Amino acid sequence: MNQAAAKQRNGWRVVDIVTASVIAVASGVIFWAWSAGYGLFSLAFAAFPPAAALLTGVWLFPAVLGALIIRKPGAALYCELLAAVIEALLGSHYGLTVLISGLVQGLGAELVFAAFRYRKWNLGVALLAGLFSGLFAGVSEAYILAYYVEYTPALKLFHVVATGVSGLVVAGLLSWLATRGLAKTGALSALASRRAHLETGKLAAK
Amino acid sequence: MSSVANTGATADTRRGTEIIARSFGWHHAEREKPAIASLDLEIPAGQKVLLVGPSGAGKSTLLHALAGLLEADDSEQSTGQLLIDGSDAFAREHPVGLMQQDPETQVVQSQVADDVAFGAENLAVDPSIIRQRIPEALDAVGLGMLPLDHRTQELSGGQKQRLALAGILAMQPGLMLLDEPTANIDPEGIGPLRDAVLNAAQVSGATLLVVEHRLDAWAGHMDRVIVLEPGGGVAHDLDPQRLIDDEELRAELSAAGLWVPNYLPQVPTAAIEPGELLLEADQLVSARTGDSPRTQAVDLSVRAGTATVIRGENGAGKSTLALTLGGLLQPAAGQLQAVEALANGLDASSFSWKAGALIGRIGSVFQEPEHQFVTQSVREELAFAPLRAKASGGHELKYDPAEVDALVDSLLARLGLEHLAEANPFTLSGGEKRRLSVGTVLAAAPQVLILDEPTFGQDANTWRELAGLLVEQLEKGTAIIAVTHDEHLASTLSAGQIRLAARADQAPAITRGPVLDAPVGRSWLAKINPLAKLGAVAAATLPLITTLDWVSAVVIVGATLLAFPLAGLSVERFLKRAWPLLVAGVIGAWGIALVGQDSGAVYAQFGIFSITEGSVHGGIATGLRAFALALPCILLLATTNPSDLGGALSQQLRVPHRFVLGALAGMRLLGLMVEEFSTLGLARRARGVGNFGTVAQRIGAKLGQCLALLVQALRRAGRLAVTMEAKGFGLGERTWIRTASFTGRDAAVLAAGIVLGAAAIGAAVLAGTYNLVWG
Repeated sequence: MNQAAAKQRNGWRVVDIVTASVIAVASGVIFWAWSAGYGLFSLAFAAFPPAAALLTGVWLFPAVLGALIIRKPGAALYCELLAAVIEALLGSHYGLTVLISGLVQGLGAELVFAAFRYRKWNLGVALLAGLFSGLFAGVSEAYILAYYVEYTPALKLFHVVATGVSGLVVAGLLSWLATRGLAKTGALSALASRRAHLETGKLAAK
Repeated sequence: MSSVANTGATADTRRGTEIIARSFGWHHAEREKPAIASLDLEIPAGQKVLLVGPSGAGKSTLLHALAGLLEADDSEQSTGQLLIDGSDAFAREHPVGLMQQDPETQVVQSQVADDVAFGAENLAVDPSIIRQRIPEALDAVGLGMLPLDHRTQELSGGQKQRLALAGILAMQPGLMLLDEPTANIDPEGIGPLRDAVLNAAQVSGATLLVVEHRLDAWAGHMDRVIVLEPGGGVAHDLDPQRLIDDEELRAELSAAGLWVPNYLPQVPTAAIEPGELLLEADQLVSARTGDSPRTQAVDLSVRAGTATVIRGENGAGKSTLALTLGGLLQPAAGQLQAVEALANGLDASSFSWKAGALIGRIGSVFQEPEHQFVTQSVREELAFAPLRAKASGGHELKYDPAEVDALVDSLLARLGLEHLAEANPFTLSGGEKRRLSVGTVLAAAPQVLILDEPTFGQDANTWRELAGLLVEQLEKGTAIIAVTHDEHLASTLSAGQIRLAARADQAPAITRGPVLDAPVGRSWLAKINPLAKLGAVAAATLPLITTLDWVSAVVIVGATLLAFPLAGLSVERFLKRAWPLLVAGVIGAWGIALVGQDSGAVYAQFGIFSITEGSVHGGIATGLRAFALALPCILLLATTNPSDLGGALSQQLRVPHRFVLGALAGMRLLGLMVEEFSTLGLARRARGVGNFGTVAQRIGAKLGQCLALLVQALRRAGRLAVTMEAKGFGLGERTWIRTASFTGRDAAVLAAGIVLGAAAIGAAVLAGTYNLVWG
């Protein structure tokens, strides 16, 4: 493959930057709507608070969705980080650590797409990206940012597994389905993912 | 691609550019036919041209080509030549201004002066020259009275378009391209916008190319009219006077859907036979939410087979009233009664009905058709409501599946959408979407039909079909209520009218929900470099991550509270911002107290969990730490404008400006998207989706709403990207009119943050409470 073609495939055009930004902002709106209802969900978990980790995936979907739509190096990281900035600006109760979380979660997904050299965007890769984003989030929360320093070791492990599963399903599967749904509406016509709905649904499709 | 030249020419030497097309053609990727084929055209410098043609004639494509926005790759083919002053349009050697129809995406920045400067900055014009051009450009478009830091969010649609025009003028283009500039703005905004465009052309001497389908506003002011042919070249090239004199031409153009001057499509006027009373409003007051502005009180009796139009100035709350009448919002005051003839066994309050019961009684058609699409094909879209509509009492289904099929087929035929039955609704043309959105609501056979600006922005053919459809419904006995500026529609429907005035006693509507560019005030902290503040907050709070103890957290919380006067924050404003943090802190503390590591006295026992002295201490420390991490951010947010932060990031930390400015442009849409999200919820209830269902149905409905939001977000992103590219964004080095500086005072703030962080940790170590969380 010649260099010019690689540059065209991997370089960010203005429409890619603006679309990624707007996806992140829309994600911020969804976070905002979600957190309004999140308190209720959390109450449902009041009997066993660590189970709330199963809802973490909602905060991870911009990384996978952004990458599946933009299909450029850095898209997962950029969308997740910007969505975290929006969350901080909207008055997140995590303070600046939300930016660190955004970076870590975005990185988890980004590394998966990078491992496939930004060429594969199928269901399997999406699920893997969601899973890694969740695992990165879980590990950083349980062991590095130490939000749950008072948890027992078993509960910390439970937390990591729960965020991973949540990332797989919510960030991975739902983002992949959303990308196909969006492609059908023609809303992706200016982007590399415009034919996403015509790609096969097999796990390891090209 | 070479960079756009800008010589900084003075007013005397500025002039328009000449356009020449020689057998020019363009073929979009993944389209069967070329958008433009063998176009031959010569437009001399400084001419004012009205470009018209039926939809699909390639008008927008031509404008995008002239603006240098089409990029030829393997799949998109250009043929022939398109020259601007002798050089290839694709090389972008001359600044070209482009305005599109959606006002929201023509504005890029959050403050007026920044937005005017945006294009010129991208062309790397000297900042001192840009600062001179800003007031000149604002004067030329009639916005000279606005303060330079006025928030662009607060402008009306027509003002936003004029602001975009000022930004184009500040680029000093030789060519200005306007793609249906008045299609999305209210009638009262059209005249001032048109005059601003003509004045801008006058002062700049630029060649002017306007695409419009409503010709009345423009015909009398232009030098020439060019009619394009779908998939071909020029159909007519004529003097504007012939749009008024030449009957044959007028007939041809109006048949193509254009609004030629003084033309009104004729539909037989509805014969009105008032039937029984259905809906009665008594001193009804409407409001979007509890704390948003309220409308005037309204009295209204809605009878079967009659039409009523709601009129009134902008901001009077016409749409809000329509939503309330539609059973989508709860009345803010007064009475709204559904009479038994309509309620048919249900409560008199339509707001309390389940969505399925509502749609079979009162149908609401929203202004934006896409807000109401809930399925993947036109056929499913039409079948959606009848499959869910509930009959009397609100329990049994109104139709069986065979009836639904027959109903859908007849609707497809009536709407002229048979050939599109399997198409995705979002991929239809504007007129087709409008017809479908009316059809989907009619499919549930409501007795009352409410429409918000049904004819707004539609071509003459869609107008004729819609009016015919509505007259038919009236004569069948449906009651129609329409919010509209369209007098011809009102008279065709023989409608009565109610007029809503804006209430004098309240401030104009403000954007609800979160906004990012709220004014930051003039406090001491507001003048500090954003990076210094960001660094100070980071230095003060991030060390807390290393420990879980209450001493360090209390030091940070205390110091932050002492700093609040510097940010000009009162206790009341602080509590308004901080209460979610307090709640989160308490919830966090509870979680840890319940499941944290146990030690000491046992206070309570729930199954396998126990609350002990140790876990309570852990919980309190966790809650306090969460609070201490978040609280200083309030200082930062309350005193920092995101645009300043972006500028500082880009200029001082060398973060790539394309990403910083792209992010800021996207963030400007936040308030708009929050509003759109709540509108989507209502629009989807009006289709029978949503509330009062099972948990699975509600989750499904919410996911659908999120997807619908993303569709709208992506559409706006596409238009915003075109605007930014047309303003030279991303071409190369740029200049900045806002320069970020770093003074001794900024350094002091940063140092204070570092000292505070160290002091918090030091205090904890001295008190013996410091405990390394990774230990």
